[in-house]
Amino acid sequence: MILMAIVIGCILGAVIGIYAPLVPYTYSGYLAIAIIAALDSVFGGIAATLKKNFDLKVFVTGFFGNAILSILLTFLGEKLNVDIYLAAIVVFVGRMFNNLAIIRRYYLSKWTSKKQENEQVESAEKTEETSK
Amino acid sequence: MHKKHIAITLGIMCFALTIATVIQFRTVDNTNKTVSSSLKENALRDEVLRWKEKYDNTYLELAESAKTLEEVRKQATQNDTTSMAKQQEITQNNMLLGLTEVTGPGIEITLADNNTGLTSEGNEVLDISSQLVHNDDLIQVINELNNAQAEAISVNGQRVIQTSSITCEGNVIKINGQKITSPFTIKAIGSPGLFSGSLNRIGGYLYFMKKDGVYVETKQLDNITVEAYNGVISYKYIKIKE
Repeated sequence: MILMAIVIGCILGAVIGIYAPLVPYTYSGYLAIAIIAALDSVFGGIAATLKKNFDLKVFVTGFFGNAILSILLTFLGEKLNVDIYLAAIVVFVGRMFNNLAIIRRYYLSKWTSKKQENEQVESAEKTEETSK
Repeated sequence: MHKKHIAITLGIMCFALTIATVIQFRTVDNTNKTVSSSLKENALRDEVLRWKEKYDNTYLELAESAKTLEEVRKQATQNDTTSMAKQQEITQNNMLLGLTEVTGPGIEITLADNNTGLTSEGNEVLDISSQLVHNDDLIQVINELNNAQAEAISVNGQRVIQTSSITCEGNVIKINGQKITSPFTIKAIGSPGLFSGSLNRIGGYLYFMKKDGVYVETKQLDNITVEAYNGVISYKYIKIKE
């Protein structure tokens, strides 16, 4: 059910996004930062689920809060003539890589342990056969 | 219940994320077709795009303000005969200067490059350049239209006024500082019969263009709208002699 909701949300978003009006070029930078922040939250959420400490409230507030905060910070940076968005990108993308590494390790260890189990079962069967 | 809650929240979030991503993709696709390798050039291009957007927005505002001004003027002169006469004079002068959209009977000429490489008789062309519409061609056609007493002329939406120049800019033609390209639609207000007779006569300019294989089409229309000049006319040197 959760998976279905995600898929439906993605498809609806893509369809409406195709027909939605374009963002003025001046503001497309802000939107890009917000997207990166949201993506970071999504990967964080997946990693948290794998670690079994996923909290919906934390996830939702992180998703929207990070996006809005990063937009505000970028805006502030524009006013101060400091490229704050670079810092935001470094932080978010760095965290994204961290979370991706966690996800990768989780599945890798799962895969290797499964393989070892299979090998153990096979070797056990073999010894049984030879003992017969 | 709890699971339903989670599903709906996640669905909404995915919806928001994909909608933003797709819009961003399209925006970037629309504006930044070529990404340069140098950071500085990208920044400059960024700047140019931003200024262009600002310019367009300001221009729209200007058009809006002009409209409001017109209305205010109309209201202010409603009960005053002398100012009403002045107002009429202004409107008349603006029309003569080409600052207002005008309509009337006229002709629409379409000139387009020929991409087949064949002349009208089906022979292979020797000089491909002769099959393209050049700035000289437009100037000649406009000259013939003026000779046939055209009262208003526009090319691809650009009104031809006293200060209009038509120049060759490599692969495009520039008129009133705006770049235009084939096909060219020339609209003129005046006597349609006179236009048609003078333009389509044997030995006329369009006759030779057609012979070279350029796509030429003329349409006589009872009602044609010629666009207004959308720039600013400013004079610096001329003065009325005392």
